[in-house]
Amino acid sequence: MEISIAAEKLFMLGTFPVTNSFLIAFLVSFGLIVVTRFVVQRKELIPRGLQNIFELIVEGLLSFIESVTEDKAQARKYFPLIATIFLFVLFSNWVGLLPGMGTIGLAHSVDGHTTIVPFLRSTSADLNFTLALSLMVVLTIQFTGIATLGLFGYGKKFFVSPLHKPYVLGTVVGLLELVSEFAKFLSFSFRLFGNIFAGEILLIVMLHLVPYFIPLPFLFLEVFVGFIQAAVFAMLTLVFLKMATLPAEH
Amino acid sequence: MEALSNLGIDWKLFLAQAVNFLILLFVLRRYAYQPMLDFLEKRTARIEQGLKDAQSAQVKLSEMEAKEKAILAEAHTEARNIIATAEESAKKRDSEREKETEAKVERLLEEATVKIREEKNTVMAEAKKEIGELIILSVEKILREKIDATKDENLIKEMVK
Repeated sequence: MEISIAAEKLFMLGTFPVTNSFLIAFLVSFGLIVVTRFVVQRKELIPRGLQNIFELIVEGLLSFIESVTEDKAQARKYFPLIATIFLFVLFSNWVGLLPGMGTIGLAHSVDGHTTIVPFLRSTSADLNFTLALSLMVVLTIQFTGIATLGLFGYGKKFFVSPLHKPYVLGTVVGLLELVSEFAKFLSFSFRLFGNIFAGEILLIVMLHLVPYFIPLPFLFLEVFVGFIQAAVFAMLTLVFLKMATLPAEH
Repeated sequence: MEALSNLGIDWKLFLAQAVNFLILLFVLRRYAYQPMLDFLEKRTARIEQGLKDAQSAQVKLSEMEAKEKAILAEAHTEARNIIATAEESAKKRDSEREKETEAKVERLLEEATVKIREEKNTVMAEAKKEIGELIILSVEKILREKIDATKDENLIKEMVK
């Protein structure tokens, strides 16, 4: 049993190291594109089969986003980002739970004994992905805020003159808000990475301790956690986006 | 840097993951979300329109039903009126005809009585005449003699009276 925080390298593509988590990211993206394309191209007025599921997801997400933004046009504008985060994170979390995820791989010898480098690893259990995603999200939040309020209007949220009503307190709170904008980057990425990586390790450990039946409740738990983490990531993105578009309260 | 590589962070992979996600985002937005959302919106509008149409059709139907009922009721009363007037006029005509017939019958009766009386009269007159002649003849025969014409006639007249 070997646990590695970093995603394992499978092979090199030129100078680019292809890791198992990147392979999963690619496969999940490809699968999502193919399945949604298939559904959208064959959509009918009376939904059937896969179209039902896709419509359920799309309509559920849209109505949820509308309930947060309270604005239909804004909801449609944010929908692609929120939906993509939710779907991609959800499926990459769940793919990590498939049987054999940690066991099938390349034989690999380290220090004289052979271990297995698994082919597949949940994308969310790779810091490269969670950091990249949260960086994009944080940048999107900042740009959305500046685009709706203007550079000055958005800046007013963080740089408060100490000469007005709450005086120095307002200035300090504003600076704290600025720090928390950057903290979002870390909290987003480490929350997702921590939850999914911990889940994978938990499952591996349970499987090594008691191979049959006992790991089952933990598997269900991880299915639930995978969903919750995807929902939390998408929901927080949405809420921060909405908050960024609201003018400063003071 | 040592800590970053211990966590498995590699700028190449970081960039690759970001690009992968962005591609996924744009492809899904262009080919999945937008057509699907448009489609769903269109369908919602269509269903709403359909429901509205159905409702207006229902209203129209009930209106038509009410109208139909009113027309039927009107037709009923009209028909009844027509029948009543027809019956009345028929009755009137009947009674008129009856009266007419009665009058005719009466007239005929009267005529008949008049005729009978006339005939009776003529018959009586003729009978008187004939009887008178017969008496004359018989008296002549009995007497075998003619007194004279004046006497004779006087006698006859007395006898006939």
